[in-house]
Amino acid sequence: MSLREQGRRTRLRRTGRIPPDAEVRHFDELGDGTQAVVAELAGRPLTAPEPRDLDDGDVVKFTEYYEVRTR
Amino acid sequence: MSDSYVIVGDGIAGASAAETLRQEAPDADITVVTDEGETLYNRILIKEYAKGKLPEAPISIHDESWYDDHDVDLRLDTLVVDIDVENDAIRTHDGETLAYDTLLLAIGGTPQQLPVENADADGVHHFWTFQDARRIKESVEDADRGVVVGAGLLGIDFAAICGAQDVEAKYLMRGDCWWRYALSEEGAEVMHEAMRERGVDPVFGSGVDHFEVDDDGHVEAAVDPNGDRYECDFAGVAIGLDFNVEIVEETPIETDEGVVVDEYMRTNVDNVFAAGDVTQFHDVILGERAQNGAWGSAKEQGTIAARNMIEHGSERFEWVSSYSITHFDFPFLSFGHPTLGDDSVEATTAEGEWRRVALKDGRVVGGVLIGDLTPQSAFKRLMREQRDVGDQRERLMKPGFAVDDLAPATEQQRRN
Ligand SMILES: Cc1cc2nc3c(=O)[nH]c(=O)nc-3n(C[C@H](O)[C@H](O)[C@H](O)COP(=O)(O)OP(=O)(O)OC[C@H]3O[C@@H](n4cnc5c(N)ncnc54)[C@H](O)[C@@H]3O)c2cc1C
Repeated sequence: MSLREQGRRTRLRRTGRIPPDAEVRHFDELGDGTQAVVAELAGRPLTAPEPRDLDDGDVVKFTEYYEVRTR
Repeated sequence: MSDSYVIVGDGIAGASAAETLRQEAPDADITVVTDEGETLYNRILIKEYAKGKLPEAPISIHDESWYDDHDVDLRLDTLVVDIDVENDAIRTHDGETLAYDTLLLAIGGTPQQLPVENADADGVHHFWTFQDARRIKESVEDADRGVVVGAGLLGIDFAAICGAQDVEAKYLMRGDCWWRYALSEEGAEVMHEAMRERGVDPVFGSGVDHFEVDDDGHVEAAVDPNGDRYECDFAGVAIGLDFNVEIVEETPIETDEGVVVDEYMRTNVDNVFAAGDVTQFHDVILGERAQNGAWGSAKEQGTIAARNMIEHGSERFEWVSSYSITHFDFPFLSFGHPTLGDDSVEATTAEGEWRRVALKDGRVVGGVLIGDLTPQSAFKRLMREQRDVGDQRERLMKPGFAVDDLAPATEQQRRN
């Protein structure tokens, strides 16, 4: 697991076309805590503390495809 | 001499075992044998490829260099045909013998065919491998009308593929609703409506009596037991899996529906382990033998098996499985064993939100959440704690349910 900066926050941005070099994760690959964050942020203009098993730029397949943005 | 580990199967269970073995036994000899022609890929994303939503590349997990980098001897296109447990060796289809100190069977299952006329016709598809997904995509892209058979978690993937590829489809179900063993008609209706919105029409009290084919042997219709005929140039069949236990059948390794293992993933033969979909494991939470068919569970079993292959008894498999459906604009999640239990409680908790919890002897054993997944971790916790909630079952239906909504557990209720 990568070392994480403290205090970073994540949001999810809906995305359509998935480039061949994208890191795509299905919802069922994520741990329970990260699943809860994804379910909460998907489709909402909210942020949450950076979840453990998603990196900035990853794409998550949930009810749509979402790009992970962490700042 | 270093220990030698042989793993049959390079799905997520076999691959996570190989990764753990390499991490925790750096000097071991590790061989992975698979009858597929490609290295580990993401089986739970191949449906997205067939839907036309994902390119091939992100679906790959390990390329061949991963095996070199981790000093794992990889055998692609190699079918294991025999296990000789007396001499600690496996035999492959081309006659090669591979010896092991410890063996892992991570061999999964194979989709069942319908036992009806023309079930293997051109255009009738089953879905397990990436190669299947490539064939399905090609076939569905050329199709106008589809038929889907199998009212469960894999059947609905075929329905979603038809929907995404603009194929008008009939979803033929034997009962009166989708996944009738886990959902009531009320919950299933949320799913039926979502299918209809995508051009897939559920047909109840139906099924397939036989398929009709054209002069080239391509499917052109499914005829149900009522005699109703549904024209189609694509058919998807997902009626269940046969676990790949033929190679075990002539050995002393115990099998039932799958390979029987204890909570350490060990079979009744001391140096043979199994992991993933193929196992019937001792479920320490449920207190009985169980079987999971989900990615997260298979991955965890691979890891746990590897640890116990190195040192038996080091870690138990203690896991509440879950499986989601992400084809629609609302989420669906099943957890634990939603088809088991002697009691259940269900409710529509808000518009488009429905849940059902299955109980056995007053304890949660599984359930289904539609629309609102928030209570997932609370229900999984109740399962792990094996808490008796029988007299508070209505509280489980509270919107946004959390464990604190229950009366504090007495010592007796907390069995762990
Ligand atoms: C289309 C589809 C969609 C799915 N969607 C989801 C989902 O959304 N969420 C979820 O949690 N799960 C999902 N699943 C289930 C999930 O993919 C499986 O539970 C998981 O991949 C099982 O992994 P495994 O390693 O146990 O078995 P498998 O992935 O089946 O791997 C077993 C491997 O062993 C090989 N093998 C078998 N016998 C031999 C032999 N004799 N010699 C050599 N090799 C052999 C097989 O070819 C195969 O490659 C889905 C499955 C499919 C097919």
